[in-house]
Amino acid sequence: MNPLKLELEALRARFPPGFESSLVLPCLRRIQQQRGYVADADIDELAASLGVPRIQVEEVLSFYTQFRRAPIGRAHLQVCRNVSCSMRGAERLLEHLQRKLGIAPGETTPDGRCTLGTVECLGSCGTAPVIMLNERHLEQVTIAVLDQLIAELK
Amino acid sequence: MPGRQLLMTFPLTVGSHTLAEYRARGGYTTLEHALQQRTPQEITQAVTAAGLQGRGGAMFPTGRKWAVVVPGDGQPHYLVANADEGEPGTFKDRWILEHAPHLLLEGMLLSAYALEARHCFIYIRGEFDLPYRRVAAAVEEAYAAGWLGKPIGDSGFACDIVVYRGAGAYVAGEASGLLSSLEGKKSYPRNRPPRLTVRGLYQRPTVVNNVESLSNVAGIVAHGAAAFRAVGTDKSPGTRLISVSGHIERPGVYEVELGYPWRRFIDEDCGGVLGDRPLKAVIPGGISSQVLTAREVETLHLSHEELWSAGSTLGTGGMIVIAEGTCMVHLLQIMLRFYHHESCGQCTPCREGTGWMHRIINRIVAGEGRPEDIERLYYIAKYNDGTTICGLGDAAGYAVSAMLDKFRDEFEFSIAHKRSRYEGHIE
Amino acid sequence: MTELVINGKPVQARADQTVLEVALASGFYVPTFCWHPQLSTAGNCRMCLVEVEGRGLDIACNMPVSAGMHVLTDSEDVKAHRKAMLQFITLNHPVDCGICDKAGECRLQDYHYTYNGERSKSGDPKLRSHKLVNLSDRILLDNERCILCLRCTRFTHEISKSMALGVERRGDASAICAAADRSLALDPYSDNLIDLCPVGALQSREFLYKARVWYLQPTASICPGCARGCTVQIWHRKADWQLKALDARQNSCIVRVTPLENPAVNGPWICNKGRDLARIFERRRAEQAMLKGTPVALDAAVDAARALIQGARHPAALISNWASNEELAAFKRHLGGRFTARVKRDCEPQPGEPLQDDLLIRADKNPNTAGAQALFGDGPPTLPAATDLVLIWGEGCDFAALPHGAPVIYLNSYLQPENGHADVFLPLSVQTERRGHYTNFAGTVSEFQPCFRKSDSVADAEALFEALALPAAVSA
Repeated sequence: MNPLKLELEALRARFPPGFESSLVLPCLRRIQQQRGYVADADIDELAASLGVPRIQVEEVLSFYTQFRRAPIGRAHLQVCRNVSCSMRGAERLLEHLQRKLGIAPGETTPDGRCTLGTVECLGSCGTAPVIMLNERHLEQVTIAVLDQLIAELK
Repeated sequence: MPGRQLLMTFPLTVGSHTLAEYRARGGYTTLEHALQQRTPQEITQAVTAAGLQGRGGAMFPTGRKWAVVVPGDGQPHYLVANADEGEPGTFKDRWILEHAPHLLLEGMLLSAYALEARHCFIYIRGEFDLPYRRVAAAVEEAYAAGWLGKPIGDSGFACDIVVYRGAGAYVAGEASGLLSSLEGKKSYPRNRPPRLTVRGLYQRPTVVNNVESLSNVAGIVAHGAAAFRAVGTDKSPGTRLISVSGHIERPGVYEVELGYPWRRFIDEDCGGVLGDRPLKAVIPGGISSQVLTAREVETLHLSHEELWSAGSTLGTGGMIVIAEGTCMVHLLQIMLRFYHHESCGQCTPCREGTGWMHRIINRIVAGEGRPEDIERLYYIAKYNDGTTICGLGDAAGYAVSAMLDKFRDEFEFSIAHKRSRYEGHIE
Repeated sequence: MTELVINGKPVQARADQTVLEVALASGFYVPTFCWHPQLSTAGNCRMCLVEVEGRGLDIACNMPVSAGMHVLTDSEDVKAHRKAMLQFITLNHPVDCGICDKAGECRLQDYHYTYNGERSKSGDPKLRSHKLVNLSDRILLDNERCILCLRCTRFTHEISKSMALGVERRGDASAICAAADRSLALDPYSDNLIDLCPVGALQSREFLYKARVWYLQPTASICPGCARGCTVQIWHRKADWQLKALDARQNSCIVRVTPLENPAVNGPWICNKGRDLARIFERRRAEQAMLKGTPVALDAAVDAARALIQGARHPAALISNWASNEELAAFKRHLGGRFTARVKRDCEPQPGEPLQDDLLIRADKNPNTAGAQALFGDGPPTLPAATDLVLIWGEGCDFAALPHGAPVIYLNSYLQPENGHADVFLPLSVQTERRGHYTNFAGTVSEFQPCFRKSDSVADAEALFEALALPAAVSA
C-alpha cells in the first residue's frame, strides 16, 4: 500500500485536524481503485492507521453500494432502471444484456469479462437510458450500442 | 428561452468551465470586491433580502438558515455544498458542476466569508464521473491561482475546499445524512434538534446548501438583492434550473424564470411531449414531489407558491413528463423499489414501510393485488408523514398518495383485473 | 426551572430536560424501545411520539422542554400513531413468543397488548433472516426478532467501549453484526446486551431454553467476583414451579444472573463474571466434616476443633475476605480475643481475566476485603513464627507456607484435596445460602439475601464461631 499511503497522507493534509474519521470513504475508494475490491487486510490496516473502530469501516463497506469486498469482472456494467431511464427503454436494455451475457444482475460471466448490475438514478435523466461502464457514463444507450460494447469486451 | 436567465448566461464551449474563461467573463471580481468592501454581515443581509430559497428540494430561505450561525462564537464553522444530486429525475446541479464549477466556488467563497467558515466541502455523489473531474479540476485551478488555501489578496480571508466523494446512497443527499457520511460513517440522518447550523459536522455549526443555491450567491452580491427580486415572482424570486426528462422531445437542463407558464415551457421550450403524444401527467420536482395531471398542469406557472397551492412542490426541479398510455402502476412500482432500496433503515416507519409498500405494489403488478391494498398504501404513507427522522419516509408516502389520488382507477383496475390497463407500458 | 403542562397537569422541569424525562418523572408513562437513560438518544423506534398542542407529533426523547408547552401523551392521535408504529415494528417480527427466551419480560409483548392488540395489517409473508448468529461464544443474535433500536451498538460504543457491534447493510435488510476482530468476545460487559435488548433478539447462550422467566424468582445478592460488589439478581426456580422430574439440585440452582440496578455501585450493569456466578457457587461442595480425611459428624468435628483451640497457646487465623460483615463480626466477638488474625486474599486474578478498568471491574477479586480489613487490619497474611494452631477460613491459602507442625483447622465450602489434610475440616455454607452484607472498595455496604437452603451437614460460620468459642466438652 506504500505509494497509496503517500497519496492518502496528502489527502489527509487537505482536511482540517481531527477529521481522521472522514478519511474512511476516500481511502476505501482509493484502495478499491487499486485492488479492484477491499480486502480484509485493508480493513485492519485502514482502521489502525486512521484510529477508527474496525466496525466503522465494516459498516461503511456494507452500507454504500459502490464498495465491494470481492473482485468482480473486468467490465462492470450497471444499468440505471429508475423512472426516467425506464421510460426511455432501460428495462429492454437490461433484458437484452441478460440474454446476451447469459447472467442476471449481480452476476459475473464465467470468463470474468463482465459483471452486470442495476443502479438507481445516476443524475443523467436527460440523456436516458444511461448505463455505467466502470467509472464512465454511457448515455442515450441503444441495443446497437450495447451489442458493440459486448463485442469489444475483453 | 423560458424567461430571464441568471446562471446559463454564457455559451458552452470546450473551455467555458475553465478558470481562464470564467475570469474572462468577470468571474471572481465579485469576490475580490466583496472581500475589500463588504462585511460578512452585509453578504448575509444581501442573500436574506434577495429572498433566495434553497434549491435542493425544501426551498428553505437561505438567509434564514445562515442567520442561525453565530458570528465570532469561537468555534469552527463549516460550509458544505450538497452535490449529492440523487433525487430521480434531477440532473441540474450536474450542469453547474460540469459547466460552471467556478461559479459554485465563487459562491462558496462568498458564503464562507459570510459564515466565517475556514473549511468548506463539496459532497459529490460517488457515481458522478465528469462532474467530479470538472469540479476537482476547478478546485485545483483555484488553489493554483490563490483563491484557495491562502489569504486572498490582503483580505486576511482564507479558505480550503475539500471535494468529498460519496459512495452510492441517496440518503446521503439529506443534509444530516450527508454530514454523517462526511464524518466517514454510514449516512444515517440525525434527529433535530439540534439544527445542523448549531451542531453539524463533528458537532460544529455547519451550513449545508445546494449547489444551485450557492451558485446564485455571486450574482446576488454583485447586482444586489433588488435585482434578484426583480426576476421571478414575489414569493419565488430568481430562476430555477429545471431538469426535464421522460416523454419529452428535448430533454435537458433549462433555466426557467420563476412564474413562467408551465404548459408553454413543455410545449415550446422543451419541444413538446415525445412523439406529439397527449400529456398525461407531470412529476414536477423529482419523484418525491406529488404528480400532477395534465389538466392540473394546464393552468399553473412554475413557481414555488403555485405548486404548493396545487398540493405539490417544485422540489429539486426534476421534471418528468409523462405521456398518455403510460401505466402509472408500473411507474409507482419503480419509485417504491427505489425508496425501499435507499431507506437507511434507522427508523421504524420508513424501514418497514418502504419494504411493505414495495411488496404491495409488486403484488399488484404481478396480478396478485388485493382490494385492501390501496387503503394499506394510504395507511403506510400516512404513518410515514411527519413520523420519521428524515424526509425519505415522508417522500415515499407523498409519491404513493399522489399517484393514488390522481390515478386511483388504474390501481383499482390492476387489482380487479390482475393486469395493467396499459399492459405495463411506460415507454 | 421551566414550567410546562402534560396531560393538563402543570409540571416543573429543568431547562436541559427532555419531555420524555419530565413525563416519566411526573408519572406519565410514555412507551419507548430505543431510549435508555444511560445511552445517547437514538430516536429511531418512534414509539415515544407525543402531541404538542399547536405543533403536532414528535418524539419525546429528543424534545427539549419549553415554557408553556402543552403536551399530550395519550391523545387519540398519539394512540393511533403508537398502534401504527407497533404495526411497523411487528411487520416482520416473527411470532416466536412460544420459543423465545424473552417471553414474559418482553417490552414488545407488553406494548402489543397495551397499545396495539390488533392483528398485522399485512397479509404478506414476513421477511426471513438469520436466526442463530453467534455474535460471540456468549451472545446469540436472532436477526428476525431485532427491531434495530441500536441499544446494543450504542452500548458497545458508549459504555463498554469495545466498539464491537455495528449494523451491516441498510433498509429492512439491516442487521446487527459483530466486528470481525472478535472484540465482542473480548468485551467483559457483553452480556449486558441481553438485558438491554428490549426483545428477544440478543440471547444468552448460557441461559438459552433453560427456563421460562415466570418459573423463576430473583433474589437480591452481590457478585463476589471483585471488590466492586455489584448488586445482582440471582434467578432460581420458584417453589411452586419445582419440576418433579428434575433432581433436587436442578431445582435449587442458579438459572441466571442479572444486574440489580444500583445507582451507588454499578448502575444498571454488571460484568460477565457476574453472569457466571454458578461457576463460583456451584463448584462441587464440601458437605462432610472430617478429621484428617476421616469423615465424622459435624458435631464431632466441632468438638475436636474446640479441643485444639483450647489447647493452643498461639493460635492464628487466616481470615477470608469472602466472609460477610456478620461472619467477620462473629469471629471477632467469639474468637478474636484468642486468635492472631490476618486477612488473606482468597482469590487472585486468573490468567486472562480483565484486571481493572474505568467501568466496574476491580483488580481485587474478592467481595469483602474492606469489611475484613476494617476488623482485622490490612497487614500481610504472614503468621507469627510461634503459631501453634492455624485456623484457615476460606480458599486461597498457601498450605506450603504454613508454620511447620502446627495443626490446621480448615473451614471451606468447596471440595479441595487440602480438605482431607487438615486436622479438622469443617464445611461451610456459601453466600447464596445466607443473608449478609459486604463492604465494597469504596466503603459502600450492600446486602445479599439467601436463595437456597443450606444442607444440614454444613455449618453457618456465625453459629460455628460461637460454638468454637465454648469450652471444650469434657470427655465422656
